[in-house]
Amino acid sequence: MAYTSLNFFFFVAVTMLFYFLFPWKQLKWTVLLAASYFFYLLAGYRFAVYILFTTCTTFFAAHRIEKLAAQAKQSLAEHKTDWTREQKKLFKEQENRRRRRVLCLVLVLNFGILVFLKYYSLFAGSLNSLLGRYAISFSAPVLNLLLPLGISFYTFQSMGYLIDVYWGKISAQKNIAKFALFVSFFPQIVQGPISIYDQLANQLYEPHDFDFTRFKHGAELMLWGIFKKLVIADRAVIALNIALEDYSAWNSATLVFLLLLYAVQIYADFSGGIDISRGVAQIFGITMVDNFRQPYFSLSVSEFWQRWHITLGAWFKRYLFYPLAVSKSFLSIGKSIRKTKIGATKAGQHVAKVLPTSLASFAVFLLVGAWHGANWKYLGFGIWYGGIMMLSSLMAPVYTMMRENIKGSVKSFGFTLFQILRTFFIVLLGYIFDLAPNLTQSLDTFRRLLTRPSISTARLQISSMGLEARHYVIILFGSTVMLLIDLYHERYGSNTIRNALDTKPFFIRYSLILGCILVTLYYGVWGPSFGASAFVYMQF
Amino acid sequence: MNELIELLKDLKPDVDFETETALVTGGILDSFDIVNLVTELNNFYDIEITASDLVFENFDSAAAILALVERLQDE
Repeated sequence: MAYTSLNFFFFVAVTMLFYFLFPWKQLKWTVLLAASYFFYLLAGYRFAVYILFTTCTTFFAAHRIEKLAAQAKQSLAEHKTDWTREQKKLFKEQENRRRRRVLCLVLVLNFGILVFLKYYSLFAGSLNSLLGRYAISFSAPVLNLLLPLGISFYTFQSMGYLIDVYWGKISAQKNIAKFALFVSFFPQIVQGPISIYDQLANQLYEPHDFDFTRFKHGAELMLWGIFKKLVIADRAVIALNIALEDYSAWNSATLVFLLLLYAVQIYADFSGGIDISRGVAQIFGITMVDNFRQPYFSLSVSEFWQRWHITLGAWFKRYLFYPLAVSKSFLSIGKSIRKTKIGATKAGQHVAKVLPTSLASFAVFLLVGAWHGANWKYLGFGIWYGGIMMLSSLMAPVYTMMRENIKGSVKSFGFTLFQILRTFFIVLLGYIFDLAPNLTQSLDTFRRLLTRPSISTARLQISSMGLEARHYVIILFGSTVMLLIDLYHERYGSNTIRNALDTKPFFIRYSLILGCILVTLYYGVWGPSFGASAFVYMQF
Repeated sequence: MNELIELLKDLKPDVDFETETALVTGGILDSFDIVNLVTELNNFYDIEITASDLVFENFDSAAAILALVERLQDE
């Protein structure tokens, strides 16, 4: 059931009715659980086994870890006076290992399923073509594997919960049904955001009464998301899909056009989907974290990744980057460099300081790339961003020196604009790995972008991509509205536009809302002739 | 506290660590700064800060960092 389908609106309306009229206040969350499982089973009942497996293994492992920690604490308390400091340390290490074994087992099982389902076909295909090249008769079996809905999102969210319990940051949930709701909550199962247990869970379990202002704000956010998805993203994707069929034919000017179109499409699609999710959750009184904060206004690549797909970045930072960067093996890299002759120099000291962190960041970007899809081109994506991040931290003193030379104008509008455009340019080039069909074509795109552009050829090529000029005008109009709203949010914060709308006279407020509905109805890509497309991030 | 402030100033000379209470939430320290700070704190105080300690609550102010250091020294 797509978030932009009529069935989904009907489903949300019925869930609302049950939820707000449910007589047992403390059990209201069961309505959300029932609705979430209904939504999930509708997408394919055979897939439910995977989400149930993740739910059960995570739930019981969290309990086991918590029980082991409580037992260890009790033993330490009992032997507070008769154990030496060394004995206590040894005991703690031994108990940590026991808890870690449980954690690792469940992490391996759940990430193992995800990796197998997502990447088996890629690895088997690559292996078979490699073996074929050397005329080796063995071939890995070809399996027709389908990804369960939202598997990347619910796996990451559940594993985050388990690690938090292991770290002692949160208490394990005592009720498996409540935990099942945290894993499967229907507004976020399709494409996130990846929530942290501490932030989301209690909101799901608390009863919420109907609130008209909240309903209105939620519905407005949904409407804005639908507008972005149907009017902009689903229109742009028509040209992008056709362009992909004959990708190697396009000249440099066409490629630049396609990259810009893709930048608009992916942002409208993904942020539109998240707005619908957050809008639905808000209607039920649940505030989900936002996944975007005007990403195209970022001043650096590092900032871009703090504003784009925020929850994925936060997950990787919390559970992978920090553990790697502060691990003994990574910190020892810096120490080793300091001991060398180069380490005694100023540049060497800087490298010793930033290299371990940069390597951890590089490893994280490789995995962020892999997360985006089972295609070797995403390895290029990881290297692109990981490499840029590494280069920028290694070169930081040079940038500081350059900035000092232009002191006074660093905070000027011109310099800020330069930083925004520079970051957008890097991001645009990064989109090559999304847009091109494979790694070879991705790398070839960089070469083709350097060839002489021909505007007249580009015009011809773009006109063959299934969209008439008026559709590009609509995309341009939609993008301008998006840009203006992002500018407003950048200046006043992200909730203010709906609050500001509340202060306007009734006629203006509802004219605007009605206008948005009519534009979406009239210009949205609804019809069968267009073919409604799924959310891009749904495939993860 | 003075030792810690000196150590922090070495890392970011232009920040007023005595009064600042939003070092992480205010975007003054990024994740790279935090990892560098962890290395310095580990070496200077002979403690072992682990990934589970790396939450903004422990790094938002000099007082919070000191509390973390003291807790780890006690363990």
